[in-house]
Formats: sequence, C-alpha cells, structure tokens
Amino acid sequence: MKLTQLTTKQRLTYVGLLTELQKDEIVGQLYAPDSYFNPIQDINDNWIISVEEMEQCVNPDYLWVKDLDLIPYEPKPTPPPFE
Amino acid sequence: MNGYGNSVFLRTALGGGGGGLDPDAQAFITAAAITDPTQQAAINTLVVDLKGYSVWTKMEALYPMVGGTASQHKFNLKNPLDTDGAFRMTFHGGVTHSSNGITFATNGYADTKWLPSANSTTSNVSGGAYSRTNLTADYALFGSLNLAFEGLCVFPKIAAGNTFFSANNNLTDGNANFVTDTRGLFHVNRDSLTVTRLFRNGTSIRTATVGSITPPAFAVFLGARNYAGTTQSYFNGNLAFGFLGDTLTLTEAGNFYTAVQAFQTTLSRQV
Repeated sequence: MKLTQLTTKQRLTYVGLLTELQKDEIVGQLYAPDSYFNPIQDINDNWIISVEEMEQCVNPDYLWVKDLDLIPYEPKPTPPPFE
Repeated sequence: MNGYGNSVFLRTALGGGGGGLDPDAQAFITAAAITDPTQQAAINTLVVDLKGYSVWTKMEALYPMVGGTASQHKFNLKNPLDTDGAFRMTFHGGVTHSSNGITFATNGYADTKWLPSANSTTSNVSGGAYSRTNLTADYALFGSLNLAFEGLCVFPKIAAGNTFFSANNNLTDGNANFVTDTRGLFHVNRDSLTVTRLFRNGTSIRTATVGSITPPAFAVFLGARNYAGTTQSYFNGNLAFGFLGDTLTLTEAGNFYTAVQAFQTTLSRQV
C-alpha cells in the first residue's frame, strides 16, 4: 500500500517502511522547516517513519519517502516508567 | 489573586489600554509572524497577566503554540530568538501543527533544548504542559531523566491507571491512581529539597516527600521523555502549551493556570 491509497482511518495505524540504508540517509535530516525525520524500529525491528513525515516532507532530497511502502504499525512495547 | 482582572487593571493603569502591545508580546508576535488580531491579543493578554501575577520572571521557557505552523510554534515567548540557546524548539518525527497546537503521532516529539542541569537547581524547578487529549496509556507529556529515572517528567496516567511525576527527583508516586482526566494543564513543581508537587489546572492534586537529585544533563522533550539520550514514551495526542521555569507558590500556580486558561479560551481551544 502507498500513501495515496490510505483511508482516513488507516492513517492512524500505518507507517512507512524503510530499508537500513534509507534510514541512515534520512536520520537527523529535515523533512520540512524545523522538522526532522525520526526513524524508529517497530516490534519486528523494521525501520519505520510516520505517515506525517511522509506527507509533510518538502525537502527535495527526500521526496522519495512519499513513495515508501506502508505497513501496519506494530510498536515495540512502551517501557514502563521505571524500566 | 485569581480572575482575569489583572490584565484589565494593568491596561487601565497604563492608560486605558489604548496603546500598543507589551514589548515582550510584540517581540514574540514579530518573531513568530503572528498576524491574526485575536492571536495577537491573546498573546498580549497572556504576557500582561503573567507579569501582573509576578510569574513572568519565574519562567524560562513558555511555548504558546499559536499560529498553526512549525515555524510559529517553535518560539519561546520569553526569548523569541531562533536559536538553541533561546530554547527554540525543534520537531522530530510525526508532528502536525494546527490552530489547536501540536499533535504528536507514532514517533513525534519536540526538543526544547532546555537542560535541567544548566537551568534549574535541586530545589528550584517547575515544568508543565497543557494537554487537549484524555488518554490513559504509558506516555510522558514531557520529560528529561537520567539513567536512574531522576529528573523532570510527568506520566499523567499510565495504562495501569497510575500517575508518575518528578521535579529533580526520582519518578515517584506510581502506586497511586488519582487522575481521572488527563486533559488540562499538568504542572510539576519542586516545592523544597524534600517535597515535589503535582498540579492539574492550578490545583495541587498530589505531593510526594522525596529528596532532590542533581538535575539531569538531558534536554526536556515535549510529547515524549528524554531518557538519558533515548527518546521514549511517545504521547499520541495534542498539546497546546508548555513551560519550564522556577518553582511556583500555590498562589502563583493558581494564577498561572488562570492566565493560561484565559489564553486558551480566547483561542477557542480550552479544555
């Protein structure tokens, strides 16, 4: 699935799938003014970015993120406050 | 003193309110390119109210999140320069900006650049955020913690129902379930070397007797916590204000909320 195919409901539960090389390329880079990519790993250790980063990207060097494959977001368990 | 009368009093005292904007409000409005008259008036009243309540000088960072874009929401009202040293925020991951403030999703957070180690002491710190989202989950509204889970942080209501908070101490009070709604202004305050207090909407809702620690050397994040350099506990929700500064008294905390809530009401985004 691609960004243009997302329904409103799916926007809340899907993320863009990155390769390791793609993650290395965008980490710490601006996707829009004052806004930086923040790749994270899901529960299966896939590197992902949010739909918001894909949609709002206006940096010409990284417009390819808009064409990333989308996968359902399965977050890593959130660490308890003390762990 | 509670109520909205402070700004009216000051404007009257200065000559009927017919003059220009407060210089600090004007500096922010110029930096953030705020052109909407309602937003300009809201900012001005907020600054005048905080000065009238003698809270303005106790604040180091105030994030009104007004204007609707990243380039406007990033500015610190206390020092609206576009620099890290002025605690201008940067945004990371899934962040959306609107007239309701900042909405965080998936991996989104804001970096305030404000280091507790450089800007607070063991007995003098406060911080808070105004949430428009009622959500029970394991997330931090804001946070900066060292490896021992000591620092400045609020978990308003984790999935188990408990609330954790800290103001230059170990995250505390996780066994208690006393927050029924996570919307509003959550404010954690270091009352003394031994007492930390949590406010919601200007009212003290919990105190904890816990010793102070050396403030952590990690920047406070909004919408997540900075755990010794690792971003965790993402908040999937909407913030409409944030602040960092000195300890407030009970009266000052109440007045501060009054001013912030009046600001939100003027912008039609109060909860």
